[in-house]
Amino acid sequence: MSRSFTTDKPGLQTCVQELPGRIGFLEQGFPLSGPFDAWSFRQANILVGNDRDTAALECQFAGPTLTLETDALVAVTGADMRPKIDGEPVPMWTTLPIRAGQTLALGPAMRGARSYIAISGGIATDPVLGSRAVFHQAGVGGHALTAGQSVPLGTPTTDVTLSQVPEAARPVISSDKRWQVEALAGPNDDWLTPETVETFFSADWAIQAKSSRTGVRLTGPEFAFSARATDKNPDHGQDPSNIIDHGYPMGAVNLAGQTPIILVNDSPSTGGFINPFTVASAAFWKLAQARPGEVLNFRRIDRDEAGRLRAHLDAMTRPEVLERV
Amino acid sequence: MLYDALRFYPGGDRAIEIELGDGMDFTINFIVHRLVAAVRAAGIAAIEDLIPELASFQVNYDPDRISYEDLCNEIETIYAEMGRGVTGSLPSRLITIPVLYDDPETTACIAAYRKDYPDKTPDPDLVCQLNGLPDRAALRRRHSSSEYWVAALGFWPGLCSLLPLRPEARIIAPKYNPPRTDTPKGAIGIGGALTCIYPDATPGGYQLIGHTPAPTYDGAQRLPDFQDSLALFRAGDRVRFLPVGMDEYEDIKARVAEGSFRHDIIDYQIFSVDLYLDWAKEQAQAQEGKA
Repeated sequence: MSRSFTTDKPGLQTCVQELPGRIGFLEQGFPLSGPFDAWSFRQANILVGNDRDTAALECQFAGPTLTLETDALVAVTGADMRPKIDGEPVPMWTTLPIRAGQTLALGPAMRGARSYIAISGGIATDPVLGSRAVFHQAGVGGHALTAGQSVPLGTPTTDVTLSQVPEAARPVISSDKRWQVEALAGPNDDWLTPETVETFFSADWAIQAKSSRTGVRLTGPEFAFSARATDKNPDHGQDPSNIIDHGYPMGAVNLAGQTPIILVNDSPSTGGFINPFTVASAAFWKLAQARPGEVLNFRRIDRDEAGRLRAHLDAMTRPEVLERV
Repeated sequence: MLYDALRFYPGGDRAIEIELGDGMDFTINFIVHRLVAAVRAAGIAAIEDLIPELASFQVNYDPDRISYEDLCNEIETIYAEMGRGVTGSLPSRLITIPVLYDDPETTACIAAYRKDYPDKTPDPDLVCQLNGLPDRAALRRRHSSSEYWVAALGFWPGLCSLLPLRPEARIIAPKYNPPRTDTPKGAIGIGGALTCIYPDATPGGYQLIGHTPAPTYDGAQRLPDFQDSLALFRAGDRVRFLPVGMDEYEDIKARVAEGSFRHDIIDYQIFSVDLYLDWAKEQAQAQEGKA
C-alpha cells in the first residue's frame, strides 16, 4: 500500500504549502510562499498528529476531490468547503480517520476563501531550495495539483487522539463581509501627507476581483503625497509612488500609482513602488480569508501589539488547544 | 548621494528597510553589498533573509528572537566598524549575453500593447528620443558598449537589475504606465537607469529593445549551467551584451532546445573597485570635455 493520494479533481489552484516557506532566497527573487492562512494551516496539522509546520494542501475558493491510497487521518480547516468522505458530510476542524480507497471531496467555499487539508504523515514532495512550498506562477516547488496526479505522503506518528479545535481557538472568519486588519505605519509612510496616513486607517477598502496569492488589490480613497514623493531625485522615477527599487516586506501595502496592493506570500520580493504601511504578520490570515468584494478596515497598532498578536496565534496553534472527541 | 548615517524604516513586525543613500549609482550599491556581506558574516541568528537593493537593503528577522531596536543597533555597529571607503577588489564573473536587438518577439509584444494604447511610442524609438540617439543603430551601439554590474536581483526569480559601468553608456527610460500584462521570456528592457533581462514570461514595465535566446532562469535545472542554481546571476557579476544576427540567434535557440547550450562565463577575473572608480572618473571627465 503506497503512502499517497490521487487527485480526482484538482479544485482551483490547490497547492502544497509548508512553513516557514522558502527562507533565504528572497535576494535571488524567490518569494517566501507558504500557507496564506498559517493559523488554519497549523490547526489542520496538529489535528492529524503532524508537526504544525508540515506540508499540507491549501485550497482556494473551490476545493479538490482526493482518493487516499492508504489509511490515514485527515483534517479540514479554514473556509467552510463542506467536506465529504464518500459522499457523507464530515465536520471541519476535526480529526477524521479515512481508509485506503475512500474519497475526500471539498466543495466551493461558503464563507472565507481558503481551506487546508492536512494528512497524517504530511505531504512528501521533494523540497526545492529547502522548502516544499509551491510558488505556482513560476513553478518553484511544483505547480497546483492536476487531475490524476499522485502525491506522496510521509510516515505518520502513531497514537493520535481524535480531536477537534474548540470554536474559541479557531480564527474567526467574518460573517458580515467586513474585516478589521491590524497594520503598522511604514516603511514609507513619510512619502504621504499626514492626512492621507490618517485616511488610510479610517477608510473602507474594498478587495478587487484581481486578487490572489500574488497580491490583494484594494479600491478606496485617493492618496496625497508629501514632498519626499513629489520633490525627489529623478532616479526614483516619474510617478510620486515611484522609489528607487527596494525590498518589499511581506504584508506591505504597496502603492502603484493610486492602486494599493497588499503584498502577500507569492508577491514580488523587490520593486520600484513605495510601501507606506505593513499588515501585522499575525493578521495575514485575514487577507487569506477575505473574499473579493469584501471590505477591509485597517487598525493602526505598534510593534508591541503586533508581538501580542503573534503570541496569541502561536498559543492557538499548539496541540494543547485541542479537545478530545 | 551617500547619507551620513543609515536610515532605518520598520516594515511591519518582521522586516526593516535600511537606506544608505539616495541615487542609482555604482558607489552606493557597492557599499550596500559590502554592508550586507558584513551583516551576513556577523551571523546574527534571528536574521532570516537579506535583500540587497540599489541604495538600500531589507532585513527580515524573527522578532521573537531579537528586538527591532537591538537589530538596528547591531547593524549600525557593523557599519561603523566597516569604514566608509569604497576600496578593495572582489572576484566578479563576466557573463556574455547574446542579444538580437529589434527582434520579432519583443516587436510583437510592443505592437500588441500599442493596439490598446496607440499613443505609446514604440519602445526603441522612445528610448532614442529621450537619450539623444539619432536612430536604433546608435541605441544598439550604446547599449552594447559597456559592461554591466549586477546591482540586485528581485521582483521575480532570477530577474536582474543591471547598471552600466561605462558612464557614457547610461541610458534612461520611463516605465510603462500602465504596465504590460505579459513580457516574453528573455526580453531585454530599460527602466530608469537600469537594464533587465526578463527571466520568464511575466508582467513588466521596462521599455523593450531586444531579446536573448540564452536562458537566465531554468526552474527545471535542465541546462548544465543551472546544476547548482535555478538563476544564472548573482549580485556582483558583470554582464556584457553581444549583438548577434538572426542566424546565430536561431542557432542558440536550437542548442537551448536540445539542452546543449552553455553560457560564456569567465570566472578568473578580480574586479578592482579602486581602479574602476578612477577609470570611470576619467571617462566622465573626457565626456564632459567633448560636450
